[in-house]
Amino acid sequence: MSPWGYLLFTGWAALTAILVKGEWLPGLALFELAFGLAWSRQGLRMLLRPRFWAFVLTAVVVGPLLIGEPDVWLGPFPLSREGLTAGWEMAGRAFGLTLAFGLGIGSLSLSDLVLLFDRLGLRGLGFATALAMNLLGALEEMAGVTWQTIWLRGGARRPPAALKHFLVTTIANTLRYGDDVVNAAAVRAFDPNGGRPAPLPLHRADFWLAALLAGCSGLLLLLKVY
Amino acid sequence: MSSYTVRDWVTVGLFGALWGVVEMTLGSYLHLLFPPEANTFLTGVVMGGIGAAVALTGRHFVPRRGSVLLIGVVTALIKLLSPGGARLGPFVAILVEGGLMEGALLLSRSLRPWTFALGGALAVGWSLPHKFVMMRLVYGADVVEVFYKMVEEGSRMLGLDPSAAVLIMAILLVIRLAVGGLAGWGAWALGGAVARRLGRRRVAVGEGGH
Repeated sequence: MSPWGYLLFTGWAALTAILVKGEWLPGLALFELAFGLAWSRQGLRMLLRPRFWAFVLTAVVVGPLLIGEPDVWLGPFPLSREGLTAGWEMAGRAFGLTLAFGLGIGSLSLSDLVLLFDRLGLRGLGFATALAMNLLGALEEMAGVTWQTIWLRGGARRPPAALKHFLVTTIANTLRYGDDVVNAAAVRAFDPNGGRPAPLPLHRADFWLAALLAGCSGLLLLLKVY
Repeated sequence: MSSYTVRDWVTVGLFGALWGVVEMTLGSYLHLLFPPEANTFLTGVVMGGIGAAVALTGRHFVPRRGSVLLIGVVTALIKLLSPGGARLGPFVAILVEGGLMEGALLLSRSLRPWTFALGGALAVGWSLPHKFVMMRLVYGADVVEVFYKMVEEGSRMLGLDPSAAVLIMAILLVIRLAVGGLAGWGAWALGGAVARRLGRRRVAVGEGGH
C-alpha cells in the first residue's frame, strides 16, 4: 500500500472513532486490527506495550467509580453499572483512536514522508525532516562532548555560566555543521523549490481500501451510526 | 515557503533536530522519573520551556514567517518516527506549541523580545490544557464527568472547597506562563549570543524578515 492509503486510513479511522456511538466501537477496533494484520504489522507492536493497555484500561477502572450513581458494591467500593458502560465506551474510543494513528501515519517510514512532502509541494520540509532524522545522533554526541568539556574545565563551580556556555557552544557548533550541509546540497544542485516531484503512484490496494472505507461510511450513514 | 533557501531549510532541520534530541534524551529521563500518569507538571514545564527556547532561538537564524512552526513540524515528525513508537499526545503538543509561538511572533511586524516571551509563555502554558483537550478527544465526552467528580472527591478528601481546584489550576498556569516567558526571553538573548560567537549580525529589534 502507498503512503496515501495509510493517510486515508488514519483520517477515516480517527474520524469514525470520534463520531460513532459506543456499541459500534468494537467493530471499528476489529476493522483496524484487520488492517494492521494486512498492511501494518509493525504498528501492531503497540499492543504489546503495558503502557498502551494502562492508558486504555484506565477508563474501565475509573468509569464505574466516578460516573453515574453507585448501584453495586464490590467489596468496599461503590460502583455504577452506568459508569462501567461509559468506561468501556471511553476505552473503546481511546483504543480506536490510538490504533488509527499508530497503524496509519505511525507506520510511515522517513522515505515515505519525504516522498509525500515532495508530492505535496513541500520538498524543503521533507529535506529538513530527513536531515534532522539523520543528524540526531551526531547532534546528541556533539552536545555530550561539549558538556563533558565544560564540566572537565570546572563548569561545576559556576553552573549558570556553564549552562550558558553549553547552550551557546552547542547551537554555534550545530550551525557550523549546517554550513557543511548547505555546501554539500549546493554541490549536488539541490533545489527545494524547483524540479519535478518524484512520482508516488497509487497501488491497487489503495483503491480497494478506498472502496472499502467508502462502503463502510455509506453503511454507517444509512444506519445513522454517526 | 517558496522564499525559503536551502540554508533556511537546513537551519529549520537543525533546530528541529536539536529540539528532537532534547525530547528524546531529557524527555525520556523525565518520563522515567515522573511517569505521565502521575505527574505532568514538571515534565511539561521543563520540556516545554526548553523546546520553546530552542525553536525561538532558531527564529534568529531563519528570519522568515512560519519558521518556528516548521521547526515544530520537524520535531513532531521526529517524535513520530522515533523508536518509542507513534504517540498522538506528544505529536499534537509539539505541533500546537509551534503554532502558538508562530502566532505570537506574527503579532508584531518585526521581531521583538516581547513577542519571543509571549510565544514562549503560550507554548509552555499549553501543556496545562493539552492534557484535558487530548483526554476529551481520545476518551470522549464522558471524561468531563470524570474530571468534575475527581475534583469533588479530591476536594472532599483534602477538606478543601471545590473552588480551590480552580485556584490551584490558575497558579499552575501562571507558573507555566512565567517559565515560558523566561524561556522566550532567554531565546532572544541566546540567539544574540550565538550570533556574536559566529560573527554573524543578530536580528535587531525592528528587523523582522517577514
